[in-house]
Amino acid sequence: MPVWLREHSWRQSLTAVYLSLPLRGARATAANIFCSEQYLKVSIPPFLFEAVLYAPIDDTNSTAKIGNGNIFFTLYKKEPAMWDSLTLANADKEKLQHLRENAVLKAQEKAKEETEAKKITKQEHKKYALEATMKVEEAERKRIEDLKEKERQKVTKELELWKNQQKDGDKYKSIQTKEEFHQEIEPLKERKNEKMNKTQIPNEASSKTRLKSTRGHGSCSIFSQDLKEEQLPAPRAAATIKVNFTPRVFPTALRESCVAEEEEWLHKQAEARRIINSDLSELEDLKEEEKNPDWLKDKGNKMFAMGDYLGAVNAYNLAVRLNNKLPLLYLNRAACHLKLRNLHKAIEDSSKALELLTPPVPDNEKARVKAHLRRGTAFCQLELYTEGLQDYEAALKIDPKNKIIEKDAEKIRQLIQGTTQSS
Amino acid sequence: MSAVLGPERPQMVSHVQQALSYTVFDCKWVPRSARLMCLGSAARGTGVIQLYELHGARLEMLREIKKPKPIKCGTFGATSLQQRYLATGDFDGNLNIWNLEAPEIPVYSVKGHKEIINSIDGVGGLGIGEGAPEIVTGSRDGTVKVWDPRQNDTPVANMEPVQGESKRDCWTVAFGNAYNQEERVVCAGYDNGDIKLFDLKTMSLRWETNIKNGVCSVEFDRKDINMNKLVATSLEGKFHVFDMRTQHPTKGFASVSEKAQKSTIWQVRHLPQNRDIFMTSGGSGSLHLWKYEYPAQRSKKDSEGSEMGVAGSLSLLQNVTLSTQPISSLDWSPDKKGLCVCGAFDQTVRVLIVTKLNKI
Repeated sequence: MPVWLREHSWRQSLTAVYLSLPLRGARATAANIFCSEQYLKVSIPPFLFEAVLYAPIDDTNSTAKIGNGNIFFTLYKKEPAMWDSLTLANADKEKLQHLRENAVLKAQEKAKEETEAKKITKQEHKKYALEATMKVEEAERKRIEDLKEKERQKVTKELELWKNQQKDGDKYKSIQTKEEFHQEIEPLKERKNEKMNKTQIPNEASSKTRLKSTRGHGSCSIFSQDLKEEQLPAPRAAATIKVNFTPRVFPTALRESCVAEEEEWLHKQAEARRIINSDLSELEDLKEEEKNPDWLKDKGNKMFAMGDYLGAVNAYNLAVRLNNKLPLLYLNRAACHLKLRNLHKAIEDSSKALELLTPPVPDNEKARVKAHLRRGTAFCQLELYTEGLQDYEAALKIDPKNKIIEKDAEKIRQLIQGTTQSS
Repeated sequence: MSAVLGPERPQMVSHVQQALSYTVFDCKWVPRSARLMCLGSAARGTGVIQLYELHGARLEMLREIKKPKPIKCGTFGATSLQQRYLATGDFDGNLNIWNLEAPEIPVYSVKGHKEIINSIDGVGGLGIGEGAPEIVTGSRDGTVKVWDPRQNDTPVANMEPVQGESKRDCWTVAFGNAYNQEERVVCAGYDNGDIKLFDLKTMSLRWETNIKNGVCSVEFDRKDINMNKLVATSLEGKFHVFDMRTQHPTKGFASVSEKAQKSTIWQVRHLPQNRDIFMTSGGSGSLHLWKYEYPAQRSKKDSEGSEMGVAGSLSLLQNVTLSTQPISSLDWSPDKKGLCVCGAFDQTVRVLIVTKLNKI
């Protein structure tokens, strides 16, 4: 239940009503005051003061002053007249309610309208600002364009002038050359200096005003040109300079940004060449050089030369494990097996070597001959003379001038014929 | 790097733009005229030479000459001002010199190289420089050959790889140091980043270096003086300016380098009227105008007492982007300061005017 504040006092003039409302210790702010055209309410819970005014007032201009435990209202009357009392006398409850509601509604509407109005003005301000900036920028752009256009026109004019100069210059030159022609022909015909002078002078006179300056130039240029032609040195003695280029593996042009990638690729290639099949765990125990198939091959060769055939075979075995694409390894191992009389192994290895020695090129002729011979020998020792002969004949085909092969082939033929004869 | 301020900077004004129906590889001004030549390759693999004249705001084609092989490069450098013959190198390795009045039969012709002639330069003509007129060509076959139009069939100098050495493409050549009748040098740039300087008087290699990127273009600031500066441009947006006045016995020539942009710098051309200003054209369709400033002292003594050069500094005066395709060729007019033509791979040739060069 609100506590009604009734100890208000009021005065009035023709146009305004002054109402003083003491607050019993309560603090008031603007939010506590509600005022509409004919209704005034102050609500500071739990206190309540309301008044349905005698006549409508102008609530937008009316003021309320809060201070000293007191609210002082200055209400401007809509119609200047003296009020009989502050509030309406016959305060019918329903009427009061009605009035109150109206007041609230009106206040709400007003608030809405105010916000709308504010929004509109804000938008208009924004638009205005935007247009202003656009204008400024446009002006700036135009200014720059104008400057550029002026430059362009100036420059075009200059160019035209220069071009016309060139044209005239060309005309003068063509007239000049004609006159030069005359000059040259006359002395050639008559070869008399006086005549030459004679032809010179009338020409000069006629064209004195216009061509004087260029004329002088022209004669200078003829003479200087003749002199120049005489002074031109003979063509240079032909010579060659040998050039070395900074080495580069790739055929493409050098780019700094690609250098790192190229280096990586080259490194990878080198690695791939060196280590093939190196995922065997035993290889970790070996020294760096022992992982190199070429080094192992050399080692094997040395051991073969010294007669250590088993050692050589071991060396070749390891080399093959590292790189099974080198034909020479198989070739040499075949030779070892022959010496060790492992004939079947010798045949195998020679065959593998021949496989790897394709395509047959002059480069690997010697190797192929050796391979055939070794296989042939192995066959013969196994008494498979026909196969052996085949190999010898192949070897002979590659190297027909080798007498030893011929002799051996002949021997085998004899043997075959001998066995067929006997059997 | 200092910058010239706002309104005083040279402006690059685009004057004329002409669309072509072929790929243009080289464009050159005809000396003493407002005419220019465009050289290139038509779609069906034949060569085209077109002669244009500047008329107001457009280019008018005066003549079109068709040749069986596409043409890569050309120069007027070795002819006299009266004759104005054009020397061209084509995709087949042929060097031809044409009289443009009668272009059916070349004045001089030789199959100089086994592969495309990438670059050509001439010296001794046009009243510039002294000595015999000569033409140098650099080709993909790795050789650089110097020709004298008075001697048929054989070059007067041949810079070829040592026997058995794998060849590198020569991408660019330039003459220089032609200040009297005997002296002359040829500078060649290769795709592996080598720059070599050959002295034609002593027929020997005078200097070489490697700039770590393929060399697209080399040019001396002037052909007809004691060699002063050499600009070499390369892939990856870099170019180097070498001070050629002082050669150190081991370190060679001093240089300053600049990275202008991310793409290849296709060409460098010095302004004929001011040898410290040059323009570079790039793979992104842009042109940059540079100025070189000399240092306080151009040479100093090193710890052993030998002279070594001091490189100066570069400043960017202006840049403009004209196209999305590389601008592969560039030429300043020797007659009008600031007038230049450039040809790009978007089949357009553009004439530009660079203003305010007098104030630099």
